[in-house]
Amino acid sequence: MTTRKNMTEKLRALAKLSVLVFLLWSLGVPRGLAQSKDWQASAQADPVLQAMRVELERSKTQLKLEAVAAPYYIEYRVIDDDEYSAEAAFGALGNDLRSRFRFLRVVVRIGDYKQDSYFQQGEGSVNIMPLDDDPLALRHQLWIATDRAYKTAAESLTAKQSQLKQLTVDQPVDDFARAEPVQSIEPLAKLDFDPRPWNRMLEDASTLYKTDPQLESFESSLKFQAINRYFVNSEGSVVRSGESYYEMNFVGRSQAADGMSLERDKGFVAKTMTELPSAEAFLSAAKDLAGSLRRMRDASLVDEEYRGPVLFSPNASTTIFADLVGENVLGYKPELGKNGRTTNAFASSYRSRVLPDFLSVIDDPTVATYRDRPLLGKYEIDDEGVRARRVSLVENGILTNYLIGRQPIRDFPTSNGHGRARIPNNPAGPSLGNLIVTSSEPRSAEEMKKKLIDLCQQRDLPYGYFVDSFGSKLAPRLIYKIWVKDGHEELVRGALFGDLDTRSLRNNLIAAGDDFYIKNRLLNIPHSIVAPSILFDELEVKRANQSKEKLPEYPPPLVSN
Amino acid sequence: MTNRSRPRPLACILGLTLIAGGQTWGSSPLTDKTDALLSTMQQEMQRAQTSLSKLDPAPYFLSYSVYDQSASVAIGAQGGLLNFTRTRRRWADVTMRIGSAALDNTHEQSRASAISSGVLALDDDHDAIAHELWRLTYEEYRKASKAYSNVKTGKQVHVEEEDTSPDFSQETPQSYSDYRDLAPAPDRPSLERMARQYSAYFRKYPYILNSAVVIMAQQTQLHFTSTEGRHVVAPGAIIRLAIEAGTLAADGMELMRVETFQAESLNHLPPESQIAARVEKMASDLKALRDAPVAEPFDGPALLSGRAAAVFFHEVLGHRLEGHRQRGEKEGQTFTKKVNQLVLPEFLSVVDDPTQRTLNGLDLGGWYEYDDEGMPATRVEVIKDGVLKNFLMSRMPITNFAHSNGHGRSQPGLMPTGRQGNLIVSSTRTVKDAELRQKLIDEVKKQGKPYGLFFEDIQGGFTMTQRAMPQAFQVLPVLVWRVYTDGRPDQLVRGVDIVGTPLAVLNRVLVTGDRIDVFNGMCGAESGQIPVSAAAPAMLFSEIEVQKRVHALNRPPILAPPNDVSEKNPGQQP
Repeated sequence: MTTRKNMTEKLRALAKLSVLVFLLWSLGVPRGLAQSKDWQASAQADPVLQAMRVELERSKTQLKLEAVAAPYYIEYRVIDDDEYSAEAAFGALGNDLRSRFRFLRVVVRIGDYKQDSYFQQGEGSVNIMPLDDDPLALRHQLWIATDRAYKTAAESLTAKQSQLKQLTVDQPVDDFARAEPVQSIEPLAKLDFDPRPWNRMLEDASTLYKTDPQLESFESSLKFQAINRYFVNSEGSVVRSGESYYEMNFVGRSQAADGMSLERDKGFVAKTMTELPSAEAFLSAAKDLAGSLRRMRDASLVDEEYRGPVLFSPNASTTIFADLVGENVLGYKPELGKNGRTTNAFASSYRSRVLPDFLSVIDDPTVATYRDRPLLGKYEIDDEGVRARRVSLVENGILTNYLIGRQPIRDFPTSNGHGRARIPNNPAGPSLGNLIVTSSEPRSAEEMKKKLIDLCQQRDLPYGYFVDSFGSKLAPRLIYKIWVKDGHEELVRGALFGDLDTRSLRNNLIAAGDDFYIKNRLLNIPHSIVAPSILFDELEVKRANQSKEKLPEYPPPLVSN
Repeated sequence: MTNRSRPRPLACILGLTLIAGGQTWGSSPLTDKTDALLSTMQQEMQRAQTSLSKLDPAPYFLSYSVYDQSASVAIGAQGGLLNFTRTRRRWADVTMRIGSAALDNTHEQSRASAISSGVLALDDDHDAIAHELWRLTYEEYRKASKAYSNVKTGKQVHVEEEDTSPDFSQETPQSYSDYRDLAPAPDRPSLERMARQYSAYFRKYPYILNSAVVIMAQQTQLHFTSTEGRHVVAPGAIIRLAIEAGTLAADGMELMRVETFQAESLNHLPPESQIAARVEKMASDLKALRDAPVAEPFDGPALLSGRAAAVFFHEVLGHRLEGHRQRGEKEGQTFTKKVNQLVLPEFLSVVDDPTQRTLNGLDLGGWYEYDDEGMPATRVEVIKDGVLKNFLMSRMPITNFAHSNGHGRSQPGLMPTGRQGNLIVSSTRTVKDAELRQKLIDEVKKQGKPYGLFFEDIQGGFTMTQRAMPQAFQVLPVLVWRVYTDGRPDQLVRGVDIVGTPLAVLNRVLVTGDRIDVFNGMCGAESGQIPVSAAAPAMLFSEIEVQKRVHALNRPPILAPPNDVSEKNPGQQP
């Protein structure tokens, strides 16, 4: 144990050192170059960018079929994804893998900003680029993908025009927004570390299955990534950026005596290795989780029916805002011929009430921290070469804006720097950065709990519910009864909400706390959600109607100690 | 089901799905007594058997297979490395049979109910391995017992099947251990160097639009133990170099050449000069194909090179000799009732011999010691002097063939079925290879045709053996020449598809060459991707029917390729 601790500390020290070196280096010559007018020198020194610029120039000036218009816009995006992943189960490593790919996406647009070929197959072509910096090998893949993208764009424009002829479109919006070219060359990210101490952390956590014979499984995993992005377009943008992401998770499964499957997981994600938990902290979080599974197993089922107040922890609250606000402020353009503003629940809510008047929501990718705590959703320039901007989405409960990229929606003709792309080579589209929910009437935790109890008393309810965290699809994972008589908390299991939706969010959310939780999520587009605890005056809580599995037919093998 | 109609390319490229790991299993020689993995498997299997035997229904057979696979893959294009991946996995398969050998949960369409798969700890951690095997076993019990009850009900409501053989063959237990490392794991730099070097050859040929080089080195150690009291430990190793290049003809037809080299270890591959020569030939073949005329529908004499004949026999004959295809109620059963009858010309014989490790100095891809059901590989004379004698048998019996002959094969995670290993066609009516061309010309003259066809290379294809499909086959010839009778030089044609029904075509072989050629490849079917080999002499057919291949109408790229220095390429410096 002590050697392991030493190793981890050493590793941490090394990581800190490399961060320091990295900082020094990035503040030094290359950074200076990038920020001066001399970005061209840095771009020329980068073989990937150079190959992209050479092929772009060639395509811009020469790519043309006789009976087809020349492209009015071309862009190349390369995502260099270097990653290491490992998994452990039952105390031993079952898999570890280091892999690196350079993914290319080429978009060629024919037509004009008003109406172009960005439709179906015309949304771009993809290829894999060599990892070596050989100019010819790099350019060959760009050349083939560009040719394909131009030809499919031509076919897509025709298909789009013939489809449009059969439709009446009331309020046409442009297909593509104009944007200022951006030049920015940031330092590259590198993945350089010794996996052994980290793998040992995974093995140690997953060894916890030995502490509880009823733990069906206890698995841990990690993924460390260095992602470098390269972007050029025919408008003159040249962008390079590099980020690292470090993620560690564990998940435990058990079964209650009645067969109900129980699962809990926990994840850590950070942009630097030093922000990851120490071996001790990781193990202790895993022990907590194993303990909570044991408690869940012994917890009683929720009552079949409940309608009344429910209090959500800041953690649970971030899940609600991610699903019910975050998803709905994304300004996806509806498909051809549909007249809505967007494709989601807030399509017709512009300038309408979507939240109670004491709540406001912004998305700000330009900040790296919230009250000194790191945010994952920080970026300078989005995946369409547009500078990130702070967007005020909901002001005192009223929806005032949407997050969009360069695909305009009705009343929003230009990008607000939220066009981001999933790894490896998906098209860019509206995405969250740092979604931050704030209250103009913050209340202390005591006040929130007291309010819950008061409401219950008013309605002669013996208890109210408190949700600490969610599993998938807004199904509570840790949920407690708060008893009116003495305020004590009782863990229960098997709950589902009947009506936790945008309507109840607008009408039944009556108070918010002065606390907050930061949920950092990777999900291929790194982003953060910040929210306080929230109280609903009325929600329906039902018993989950899930099928119950049998307990294992025979006992697990005995473990050696 | 759907698997059966899907393409079954012998020359499968980019077989990334199959691939897995990089280290060896440690250098100290193990024995059965010190093999911690084996003893954990055996202990846990005994415990499962004891516990599950108290249940109703109880399993009558249980086996654990663990494939410790290490694989390295390097991919290159245009001289650049696209990816290098090295992995190691321990795939565990738990196989369970409930009911009795006469009727169990695997009956007819529910064969997959007998297997559950997972991944085991990479080191010999007894507790971790035992736990995962336990978890897989009770999950498998649930799956198998549910399937068994469905099978029993099915028996009640359906009429008796034509083949009333039991579902599982009775075999005499025997054990075998071979702890050798067949080949050292190749080091990363040499694989990367090969991927870069061979893919760089195509830079000289701007007309080659797509090209890729994939080199895969895989080592497998199989551990097998069953409640019949046997265990098997056996090694496997394969290194496979696949080179692929494509271009477009002026009419938009996509043209493709693939060369594969397969051996047990890196130093068994041909020397670099030989590989380089084959790459150069691919490039020149593609150039010639671009300019070649499109083939016309044709029905007449044809000569197949040894490699082409080998692929042809693998697809057209080999798949139909697989035992399980003789009893499936949905199978076409071309050969089921032809045992002891003439199915080929009398001068042809076919064996499938997985125990043969090399032929003409080449490693054979279908070599193995024990199959995936723990049965010893055996040489099977399937067709002797043209007469059908046997099938390629797993432990699924068929009428008159009650036992496995060691051909139960699968990739990890899938139920084994009868599959080919090394399919070798031999002939007693031979002429010297050099004389075959003249024989072709003679036959063309005899039939009064304008020309005959010479199939230099066939890329593999797919074959449909199900009743719902026409009993046809299609292979994809890539290098086909017209051979004229009047002394004109041979003419390359493109866009050829062979069509026809198997029984008819196989009986049209007139004479063969005297030298056997080997084709190594990956073969895919219901039980997954497995390495196989096919070997045959060149063959003269009195009649082969070809049709025009449907092709895309892609325009060649608009801009000159970046490596084309012959044309003006502005924009070198933005």
